[in-house]
Amino acid sequence: MPVRMEELEHLKGMLVKMAGLVELSIKNSVRSLTERDSVLARKVIEDDHIINTYDVQIDEECIRLLALKQPMGKDLRFITTGMKITTDLERIADNSVNIAERALELNKEPLLKPYIDIPRMREVAQGMVRDAIDAFIHEDKRLAMDVIMRDDEVDDLNQMVLEELMFIMTQDPSTVYRAMKISYVSKYLERIGDHATNIAEMVIYMVEGRIIRHMLPEEIKL
Amino acid sequence: MTEIALEVKKLDFYYSGEVHALKNINLPVYKNTVTALIGPSGCGKTTLLRCFNRMHDLYPGNRYNGEIIFKGKNILSKDIDLIDLRSRIGMVFQKPTPFPMSIFDNIAYGLKLRGIKGRTELSERVEKALRHAALWDEVKDKLNESAYALSGGQQQRLVIARALAVEPEVLLFDEPTSALDPISTAKIEELAVRLKEDVTVIIVTHNMQQAARISDWTGFLMLGELIEFDKTDKIFTNPSQKLTEDYITGRFG
Repeated sequence: MPVRMEELEHLKGMLVKMAGLVELSIKNSVRSLTERDSVLARKVIEDDHIINTYDVQIDEECIRLLALKQPMGKDLRFITTGMKITTDLERIADNSVNIAERALELNKEPLLKPYIDIPRMREVAQGMVRDAIDAFIHEDKRLAMDVIMRDDEVDDLNQMVLEELMFIMTQDPSTVYRAMKISYVSKYLERIGDHATNIAEMVIYMVEGRIIRHMLPEEIKL
Repeated sequence: MTEIALEVKKLDFYYSGEVHALKNINLPVYKNTVTALIGPSGCGKTTLLRCFNRMHDLYPGNRYNGEIIFKGKNILSKDIDLIDLRSRIGMVFQKPTPFPMSIFDNIAYGLKLRGIKGRTELSERVEKALRHAALWDEVKDKLNESAYALSGGQQQRLVIARALAVEPEVLLFDEPTSALDPISTAKIEELAVRLKEDVTVIIVTHNMQQAARISDWTGFLMLGELIEFDKTDKIFTNPSQKLTEDYITGRFG
């Protein structure tokens, strides 16, 4: 008894819904910081349980299919990839929650400086998550590769933000509390980029059957 | 590199009436491994298995072309001693086929045919074969009882012991667990894996999970052709051929 197409579509549908919520949580968490909107920050934190529920449901569905249908080949790769993707998505949402928590703290303080690089990082990281999921849905290994290549951009921005904050802190110790919190936010966004990269690597496994994790981007030949 | 036990070269097989059942099969069978042959009904996997010990010769009109090389000789050639061949390349069938005699005699029978007469040697060889087939502990106190008193799973292990007694180099399994319950199936599967230390195993199975569980190499056949042959983990996680992918994911067949 093979895995039915409807079952695979159902699984895909759940992952797409979960990914949509995760993207929204990234967007809103950063907005709650840049627009100093603590109500929105609390909403991001409260809504996280919906994403956790999806994480559990998707895992259960994957385990059910593995146990009852003993999938092979492409189906096996799709289901195992789904299981791993949901873990990364769930962690991305946790990073959004962390950003919202820092926003709640920072919004009580005077603005250190206008946020310029943080929204830029948010845009790149969120785009990576969206494209990694699109690559999964459309089995598009080139798009997945593109996501992997973009990770450097987030890493570089993170480095820049940290250096700038470090400079501000050395100039005026009264900024340390706020600068530290902002540096955390930068780090969370950098982690989101890493999770998107993990998803993209799994997509390449799903399409090609080749595990490319822990390889340098230039070593991965599509 | 692993040694090759049997090598199939450009094999064609025709059933009487010129049904072209196997088409240009090329396939190595590596020594001390388990090779599984899978494919939809009528694909030729059992036909191929039966070529390895010339079972098809029992029916007139069947015809082989090509070669199967075993120990440097083409076993399809006319001058092969079939009795000798079948003791070197044994076969275990779908349904257990014990002889209507005692457990002991079932195993001693083949040995006696090969001229082993001494009571002590017979006893030793029978015990060794039964231990080898993981049946000894269950039957050691009732060796003189009829083989028919054993359960289906035990009968199948008895048949395997009988095949092992004459110390074959290759064992062919034709759907050996399709008539058995899951516990007996697990025992036969364990046995097949353990046997590869001493013999080369080729198994035909309809149960893909079984092929995945126990084999090292897998050949996928369809309509008499070998579509793909590769390491088992490759075949079941990432096959090269679309037809194989469709079959293992149950999209047809």
